Amino acid sequence: MKIAFALSENHHRSYIDDHFGRCNWYGVYDTDTKKAQYLENPNRYAEEGAGCTSVDYLMEYGIQAIVAGRFGSRVVELLKKKNIQMIIPEGTKTMEEIIKLYKN
Amino acid sequence: MSPRTKKIRLIQRRPSFAGFRPYGNQKPGACEVALNFEEYEAIKLCDYELLTHSEASAMMNISRPTFTRIYESARRKIAKAFVEGSTICIEGGKSVVNTHWQECQTCKISFSVTEKNPHVCPLCQTPVLEELEIQ
Ligand SMILES: [Zn+2]
Repeated sequence: MKIAFALSENHHRSYIDDHFGRCNWYGVYDTDTKKAQYLENPNRYAEEGAGCTSVDYLMEYGIQAIVAGRFGSRVVELLKKKNIQMIIPEGTKTMEEIIKLYKN
Repeated sequence: MSPRTKKIRLIQRRPSFAGFRPYGNQKPGACEVALNFEEYEAIKLCDYELLTHSEASAMMNISRPTFTRIYESARRKIAKAFVEGSTICIEGGKSVVNTHWQECQTCKISFSVTEKNPHVCPLCQTPVLEELEIQ
């Protein structure tokens, strides 16, 4: 499974960002290969619709779940339609901390 | 006049906190301003997510006049609390959480339910027994 993370910085110790659409980076972690890649968010300065454009962008990487601090209402509707799972951690966590919780 | 049936309003997610309290000149007493969940949602959609009234009313599955009424009521309550230094409690109303969220106590996460694996934590794979309250 591929999980996307909304991140402030482009490494695995970065905190999960509170804003799915406006974060600086996305981390895409593959739970099979245990490898991550980091993508600069091309929509972070978009006037509007940053969240939905980012969903389309991440879909190209075959993600099945997204971790972020919060999701806008339009994004929630879109992700439900696409059957992509949303994960919201309690408090402030890093990408690494979330990955460590993952079990096959 | 025909009796008005109150339509259920859809909200995305309940806030993770119960309200607000001013500081500096806290008056004793419990909840002074009660903001209901649909009022919270209306402010969130319009003033935080910057949706138009038309988009927001569609999101909440209500008419635009109804939306405007809820939104105005929310603003007045917040203004009252803001000016008078009252506590705000977020509670009640007539709404349904439109997105089904569950929690994993082990991982300390909330996750949306998908068709594939509705009752299993996507991280630790533990079955989730307790469903979040849906009102
Ligand atoms: Zn879990």
